[in-house]
Amino acid sequence: MITAIDLGLIFGLMALGVYLTFRVLDFADLTIDGSFTTGAATAATLIVAGWQPMVATLAGTALGLVAGFITGALNTWGKIHPLLAGILTQISLYSINLRIMGKANVPLLRSTTLFTPLRERGLLGTWVSVGILALVLGLFVIALVWFLSTDIGLALRATGDNEGMARAQSVNTGAMTLLGLSLSNGLVALSGALFAQYQGYADIGMGIGLIVAGLASVIIGTAIITNGRIWITVAAVVFGSIVYRLIIQAALTIPWFDPNDMKLLSAVIVVTALLLPRWDVFNRIRARSRDKQSVFDPWGDPDPEEVDSGDARPPSTGIVKKVKRADA
Amino acid sequence: MLEVRHVTKAFFPRTINEKIALRDISLTLQSGDFATIIGSNGAGKSTLLNVVAGRYRPDLGSVWIDDDDVTRLPDYRVARKVGRVFQDPMAGTSPHLTIEENLAIAWARNRGRGLRLGVSHARREQFREELKILELGLENRLTARVGLLSGGQRQALSLVMAAFTQPRILLLDEHTAALDPQRAALITRLTKQMVERYELTAMMVTHNMEQALTLGNRLLMMHEGQIIFELHDEAKKKATTADLMAEFEKLKGVQLSDRTLLA
Repeated sequence: MITAIDLGLIFGLMALGVYLTFRVLDFADLTIDGSFTTGAATAATLIVAGWQPMVATLAGTALGLVAGFITGALNTWGKIHPLLAGILTQISLYSINLRIMGKANVPLLRSTTLFTPLRERGLLGTWVSVGILALVLGLFVIALVWFLSTDIGLALRATGDNEGMARAQSVNTGAMTLLGLSLSNGLVALSGALFAQYQGYADIGMGIGLIVAGLASVIIGTAIITNGRIWITVAAVVFGSIVYRLIIQAALTIPWFDPNDMKLLSAVIVVTALLLPRWDVFNRIRARSRDKQSVFDPWGDPDPEEVDSGDARPPSTGIVKKVKRADA
Repeated sequence: MLEVRHVTKAFFPRTINEKIALRDISLTLQSGDFATIIGSNGAGKSTLLNVVAGRYRPDLGSVWIDDDDVTRLPDYRVARKVGRVFQDPMAGTSPHLTIEENLAIAWARNRGRGLRLGVSHARREQFREELKILELGLENRLTARVGLLSGGQRQALSLVMAAFTQPRILLLDEHTAALDPQRAALITRLTKQMVERYELTAMMVTHNMEQALTLGNRLLMMHEGQIIFELHDEAKKKATTADLMAEFEKLKGVQLSDRTLLA
């Protein structure tokens, strides 16, 4: 179970990246399947070549930034649909990743990685590693929340929320898309670089279907913790990532399942997480606890007049595309 | 100061659907001028505003703000000098951001954006002061999300966001048309206050002749992409709705004679 929390925290970085594109920028970015592997491949190859693990990790992150930038460029300058732009970059990255690694799998068994000090002391998968990773994730959450509260961050959020308004307020929305996608894929690649070092190898297929895990984390996190405040939402995404890993691990203990069923499982979890709020399960549970406490909640269901005003839609329907971002 | 020089704009040019929205329009607004624009649907009023805002690029002619040629600048660059309020109350604000965050975005419009906190303590006090003018109580709801506000409140907020940074030009595109009469009157009153308080140069499109006459010091009547009738200071003060209607009637006469000729 503790290993699942470790993984949840490492993949939490990836979830933050997905949050940045899907929710903040309202851009369905599929690049991350590729950029995750790019981060892992670059870090692993450089570590094997004798580089400092930290430098190798940063190099992987930098390549992720570039990958995101390319998707952004295809979209803003090439006017290519976001989905297609992401898929094009993702599929090119498959070849590039193979070029970087030179083969389909790079083991890190005898190399010094960022996790070696922990591994040697047998602390990996204990509360010590959880504590250290949680600290690192905490710093990233703080940094991201701070960034989203700056003038540039607000412009980025406005770009995803109301593009016409953003442009009328002199926001260069194209530049914001580039920035958001770069940062997002940088985070994803960093997550990949850390994961490769954690599990001890980089593999060409490690990023396949990762977008589903990212979405699941964002959806689970924001469905469990619904609160408009940006820092709570960002923290909720990391929390969602941990919950997702725990669910996966719990599901794998069911006798008949084996690790090859992971992708199917993750898809089922996302579908469930998408449908449950539609059927109002979360809301009913929350309403029940609210009734018990009977606390005034100004962010709860808006009254009909607020709904009339246009954008205060009930949060229960706020997960899928039809209604954009019930949080943030 | 705003100068529109011989601007022509056609939509779907060289097709069977070609529509010439502006025909060789020239217009100069001195600093402090407040022009109201009236005209029937399809007269080119909104197109003119969009050309000034940089949303549409004119086919011919140029647009100058303070002796700078802004004709070829993208709309977000022009926005540094131009504040806009749209007809749709939802269009001018960002629903998932709070009131103060929306104001912070507007604050940075002509100052550039960096990595400073959008809502600092000092700025929050400034925002509170700006919102007090509205007398809608929004100054006490700075951290409320804008999506929770009513249409009238959102339009009032849009107006503050467009005006309080003191843009060189303020563009108002039928910004009271989507509101009920009471709210429309409120926004009209606030518009007048804002323009006077910040000594703005403004252009307002409206279908409400009463409003066109009471607000501003200039009135332009547009028809089929041209300015066909203008009133200045004194003449505008004296004019009545009936006079404007008479001008419109004249137009109908023209159309009638055209048709008779063709027949």
